[in-house]
Amino acid sequence: MNWNCLYLAIISCLLLLNSVKAEIINKNVERYLDLSSQLVKTTIKINAEDSAGVPIKEYVFTAKEANIAYISAKDALNNDLKLRKEQSNDDQRFVLTFEKALPKQTIQIETVSVGNVKPYPEEIKQNEKQLVKYAGLLYLYSKYKTVTQKTQIKLSSSNIISYTQVKPFSVSSNKIILGPYENIKALSDEQLAIHYENQTPFLTVNSLERTIEVSHWGNIAVKESIEMIHSGAKLKGSFSRYDFQKDGRQSGQSAVKSYRTYLPASATGVYYRDMNGNISTSNMNVQRDFIDLELRPRFPLFGGWKTQYILGYNVPSYEYLFSAGKNYQLKMRLIDHVHDNMAIDKAVINVILPEGSSNIELMTPYSIKRRQNEFIYTYLDTTGRPMISFSRSNLVENHISDFTLKYTFSRVSLLQEPFLLIGFIYFIFILTIIFLRLDFSIVSYHHNKSE
Amino acid sequence: MSVDVGSAGGATAKAKSVLTWEKQEHLVKLAILILAAVLSFATRLFSVLRFESVIHEFDPYFNYRTTRFLAEQGFYKFHNWFDDRAWYPLGRIIGGTIYPGLMVTSAALYRIMWLLNITVDIRNVCVFLAPFFSSLTTLVTYALTKEIHSTGAGLVAAALISIVPGYISRSVAGSYDNEGIAIFCMLFTYYLWIKAVKSGTIFWSAMSALAYFYMVSSWGGYVFLINLIPLHVLALMFTGRFSHRIYIAYSTLYCVGTILSMQISFVGFQPIQSSEHMLALGVFGLCQIHAFVDYLRSRMPKEHFDVLFKTLVSSVLTVVLLLGTVLTITGKVSPWTGRFYSLLDPSYAKNHIPIIASVSEHQPTSWSSFYFDLQILVFLFPAGLYFCFSKLTDANIFIILYGVTSIYFAGVMVRLMLVLAPVMCVLSGIAISHLLAKYIKSVDAVAPKPTESKRQHKKLELQSGGVKSEVAIGFVTTITLMLVVYTFHCTWVTSEAYSSPSIVLSARSHDGGRIIFDDFREAYYWLQMNTPEDARIMSWWDYGYQITAMANRTILVDNNTWNNTHISRVGQAMASSEEKAYEIMRELDVDYVLVIFGGLTGYSSDDINKFLWMVRIGGSTDRGAHIKEKDYYAANGEFRVDKEGSPTLLNCLMYKMCYYRFGQMYTEGGKAPGYDRVRAAEIGNKDFELDVLEEAYTTEHWLVRIYKVKDLPNRGG
Repeated sequence: MNWNCLYLAIISCLLLLNSVKAEIINKNVERYLDLSSQLVKTTIKINAEDSAGVPIKEYVFTAKEANIAYISAKDALNNDLKLRKEQSNDDQRFVLTFEKALPKQTIQIETVSVGNVKPYPEEIKQNEKQLVKYAGLLYLYSKYKTVTQKTQIKLSSSNIISYTQVKPFSVSSNKIILGPYENIKALSDEQLAIHYENQTPFLTVNSLERTIEVSHWGNIAVKESIEMIHSGAKLKGSFSRYDFQKDGRQSGQSAVKSYRTYLPASATGVYYRDMNGNISTSNMNVQRDFIDLELRPRFPLFGGWKTQYILGYNVPSYEYLFSAGKNYQLKMRLIDHVHDNMAIDKAVINVILPEGSSNIELMTPYSIKRRQNEFIYTYLDTTGRPMISFSRSNLVENHISDFTLKYTFSRVSLLQEPFLLIGFIYFIFILTIIFLRLDFSIVSYHHNKSE
Repeated sequence: MSVDVGSAGGATAKAKSVLTWEKQEHLVKLAILILAAVLSFATRLFSVLRFESVIHEFDPYFNYRTTRFLAEQGFYKFHNWFDDRAWYPLGRIIGGTIYPGLMVTSAALYRIMWLLNITVDIRNVCVFLAPFFSSLTTLVTYALTKEIHSTGAGLVAAALISIVPGYISRSVAGSYDNEGIAIFCMLFTYYLWIKAVKSGTIFWSAMSALAYFYMVSSWGGYVFLINLIPLHVLALMFTGRFSHRIYIAYSTLYCVGTILSMQISFVGFQPIQSSEHMLALGVFGLCQIHAFVDYLRSRMPKEHFDVLFKTLVSSVLTVVLLLGTVLTITGKVSPWTGRFYSLLDPSYAKNHIPIIASVSEHQPTSWSSFYFDLQILVFLFPAGLYFCFSKLTDANIFIILYGVTSIYFAGVMVRLMLVLAPVMCVLSGIAISHLLAKYIKSVDAVAPKPTESKRQHKKLELQSGGVKSEVAIGFVTTITLMLVVYTFHCTWVTSEAYSSPSIVLSARSHDGGRIIFDDFREAYYWLQMNTPEDARIMSWWDYGYQITAMANRTILVDNNTWNNTHISRVGQAMASSEEKAYEIMRELDVDYVLVIFGGLTGYSSDDINKFLWMVRIGGSTDRGAHIKEKDYYAANGEFRVDKEGSPTLLNCLMYKMCYYRFGQMYTEGGKAPGYDRVRAAEIGNKDFELDVLEEAYTTEHWLVRIYKVKDLPNRGG
């Protein structure tokens, strides 16, 4: 089978050579794999050139890796390149377009993928260490030929059980260097497997619902309700509080006792609760340009254990809301930091605007799925507050960036609610006056005013 | 609040030029009432401010859960709700076994608020319902006392009830229980009843029947009400005060009220069957006879009437007695229930029904708790009674009866202190107002007229009750001082004793900081998050409601202790050895077992301290006959957990679950490992492994321990 393919490929290459005589080759490839957390962060430096010296306008980057949450590409001058995604049968293709077509191009590609570091064994006891397995590719998967390439891998610990050994390679502490390898054929997919110890928190946010409520009286309320699971090796057998308390280093190393969430520096009125009420175990440290919140779930999260909570805070609107006359612009983070090296399966973002906002226009830094707009009715509302809702799945820290929401709102309608209240109270007084002063009874009594 | 009456005159002196006397009085009255209502709301918020807006204790969690269901699913779903989360495998028909008044009230409030776009959480409605209703109670107390005595007494009573600890104990924010609204309903019914008695109109008696219906729908204590009102009518008959007014009032109230009360499915046909309601029925019949006799008397010569009367009385008595006996024997009239017996005879429950005796709030009241809960009201109460006796009216007789009966019941059961507190306030209000009204005149009268002649002075003194101004000043000061002390006492009691949510515990650390033990919610949340949806959890019944509400899991027994044998079975499992317990747990399909253990933190109301009740209840049925209380005592007859303790205790399931691996734990400096801080003893059985259970979770301070029941071992394995 393989040989047939190769044979075909050679023939087609020969044919191509005859007709064009020019092809792109990867002159030098350097890969950095960061496997020290639950995510796989890859940085690839590619020096591409055309064998015939024809200027390169487009470069196709092929990825075989599943669950790529984030990808970005830069050229030699550190400018972002345009990425166009093409879906083929079993791999994803990203077509990069250069601003200037040159015969030699330097590309730097960054990807973050989720779920490729898997706990192995899948179940461990409380006092056992969490071992994980990474399954990837030994060489850069590329539709072009590669002349030389080298891979550096960073692991979370020096405790490496096993890894694919193809010479030349070297290991020092928690780093593995593979290569340099030379003359790798296009589309070669040799496997790379590393089995090592990784005790970093394997936390997956199953769902995140972020609600941003804008008030033109100067406040923006943010509420995030989060469902979270420890997606590392599951706890096997019993949980012993005694062991856990006696020796925190030996017992339950992979358990998550607490994690840090960063909030904007101006956040006030922070609350951390679940459906049973306030979770009283958390610490807040105010730093210079952010707030460091140390969140402790009600119980330590062992493998396979879940938790749910709601985190909310207020920020002043002047930092995020800009206006010119009737036109307003809200610029806020689409998602915010939950914990380091986070992975979010699905996020739903709701933005609630003041009553009477119109001409709403949403701009996001990456593609999202719009949902049906709704109206929310809460305190003193009559026509309802428009709620813009959208969702996106598979998010990582690199996705923390701003969205922009433009809308128009007349300042006069700000006074609607106070007037409503005043009117209501006025109406009650009027009613009271009428009922007290006028006699509505059918029968007339004789009032004896003898006193 | 204590100086309200005293300052009423002075405060408005300035406004005299603007407002007429009548308007001033009105203003002061309104101001005092509003202040009292606001105060009664505010003083109940200690726990919300100190902790958070959270539901307290045990029963409120059930009420909260059902309210949430009602608010989400609507009334009909609620009415037909079969709860499979409780009493596994029996389940519970919620709609037919509760008084729905509380849930309907808060769900209605919730719906109305949402209709007005006030988007509050249902939990907050539940938390603040009791304080809200105590504000209403304050207003109703004013109205009731005003009907009975005077406006002044009403204001004092309102001020007193707004902070009386006996009532606060059941109505702080978060204490979401039936009593929270029932006291309001009760006083409201009384108020309307007094109105009906005074006016003799069908309108007021129908209104009081409606209020009675609300009362029936919200609390089982309505039985007290439906016995007190007939008692009042009876007393009026004996004192020769029976009249058409009372005839109309009672007949209407009884007919309409009974029919309405039968609409509550939990009450059902009880009003005409159970012996607790028979007084009301009897008095109703007596009313008719009395009215008939009165009619005959007015139409007949005296001699004829006397003969007729005697025969009538004797024959009616015979028939009634016969009928009563026959019905009781055939079981149509239900025999007196255990709770009622324990009301009449405090030692009844302790001797016969362990499950009733095991509840702390069913214990007889100690003298100190009367003072603790009512303070000066205890001393003012007789004075108030005296003033009522000194000027008897139809309404006064009612309040005397209310006071006397409720003080008896409060003595029998701690929890009925709640019924006593309002009447204490009413009678004390009457006493204070009466005394102050008498003495304050002398304080005022002398001051502006110092140069009067002696005769005039004497005349004035006579007019103002014949008291010298010094005495009057002294007296008024004393009363004021007492009231001030009362205020401080009430606030202190509320803050110290009645404002802890009991679901979150707090303690002081060595450096004065506050440590919070949030272990209960930690455990319940763990259960909710990390056990299968249909997991069945065995625990002692105290924690049943909390587990269903907070962990949303199926439980075997809960605080609605209707099935004694089932609870007894759980008690047997806890008191048996591991192998025996495993059989019971397999039989009951138990997945997890939850115990409360205070040995590490020193939390004294844990399962080991409740254990003897489990043994007693477990041994009270046939299947648990092998469990004998004396087996669990040490040789010298003490209950001990250390080496001296009985081997049965040291090897029973409860002991093992509480102390599993505790033997290695150092709890206090200078003590051996495994030192139990509650029992102040080093545990006797330290090194053991569990065969049929495995530790599933233990909270941070070891307060709650959860065990998983292992599956049967594989065959040949």
